[in-house]
Amino acid sequence: MELDNLKTIWKEQQTLAPETDPARLSDLLRMGSRGPIARMRRNLRVEAFLMIITYIPTIIAYLTMVGGHLWLISLFLFVVLSLYAVYYYRKDLLLGKMQCVACEVRSNLARQVRTLRKYIRFYLWSGTLVILIAILVAWETLRYSMRLKAIPLHWWFQPAFQLPLISLFAVGLFYLNKWYVNKLYGRHVERLEKMLRELDED
Amino acid sequence: MQPADAQDPFIHLVNDHRNILYKICRMYGATEPDRQDLFQEIVIQLWRSYPSFRGEARFSTWLYRIALNTAISDLRKQRRRITPVDPNELSAPLPDIPYSTEKDEQLQQLYAAIDRLTEVEKALTMLYLEDKSFHEMEEILGIPQNNLRVKIHRIKEKLRKMTKEAAYGIR
Repeated sequence: MELDNLKTIWKEQQTLAPETDPARLSDLLRMGSRGPIARMRRNLRVEAFLMIITYIPTIIAYLTMVGGHLWLISLFLFVVLSLYAVYYYRKDLLLGKMQCVACEVRSNLARQVRTLRKYIRFYLWSGTLVILIAILVAWETLRYSMRLKAIPLHWWFQPAFQLPLISLFAVGLFYLNKWYVNKLYGRHVERLEKMLRELDED
Repeated sequence: MQPADAQDPFIHLVNDHRNILYKICRMYGATEPDRQDLFQEIVIQLWRSYPSFRGEARFSTWLYRIALNTAISDLRKQRRRITPVDPNELSAPLPDIPYSTEKDEQLQQLYAAIDRLTEVEKALTMLYLEDKSFHEMEEILGIPQNNLRVKIHRIKEKLRKMTKEAAYGIR
């Protein structure tokens, strides 16, 4: 079969595509995208919403409990929530810049690879840091409430024991996060990079 | 959200160019539900980008960009993923399925061969078969024309080998 013949056959398949019902198309236009980036943004917003509905009542509860004596805990939690807000905002911003579907295919792929790499780096480093800060704040909150209730602090609550433990935990968390991020996006980045290389090679 | 009065001309344009969408979905979707999902996603992306279409490029060029970008960078797992192969490694001919006419059979052989190409090769094949000029291909894909010529030549060779294999070397 010669390729010129194929061109003719290709063009003759016009009749295979019946006119799409305008009502169906109109319905489609009201639907949200189910593309990967749209889904990532939706998941991010759900995650942010869950954080807000978990943290806000806790902050209010600590602020109003025991005649407002636990306001410091509320402040800690508010700082953590603020960090998460910056974290989600930055991630959403990166996702918004991730694709330009109306651009040339090559430049869109290059943009996706560049932004996704940036997104992964941000996810890895700031994600690990925010989780670590949240845990440290929770730990300090526990110590603080124990002190308030005059509960004696055991030797394993002392910084000399805790610091190496926290450092070890931070390293473990980093690698766990790295594995998770790679599992989520690793293959997709590789696929995009492979396509970009294929477009660039002579 | 675009104004409602923009809907009718947009739907009209999509219907006018439905063959392009149909062919891209047929090329990139492994199964009928995959093709329907892809069609839906392309139409949504076209509608979202519609306000940015200022007529600087031809509508078809703009449509090709959006449709190919959507098809190529889709992260979703398809129901049946096809692994591209080197035509030289094809040991057995592509499966022979009974078709009503010779042209249908040839078209199915062509699609079967295209299924074995990479996503980038599929895009180039699509534009080649649609008789797009190298200038327009460059506008859509963003690859220099010299590079495009080399790639098209390689793909033609690859397709020729694969379709010949499929037809037992008769044609």
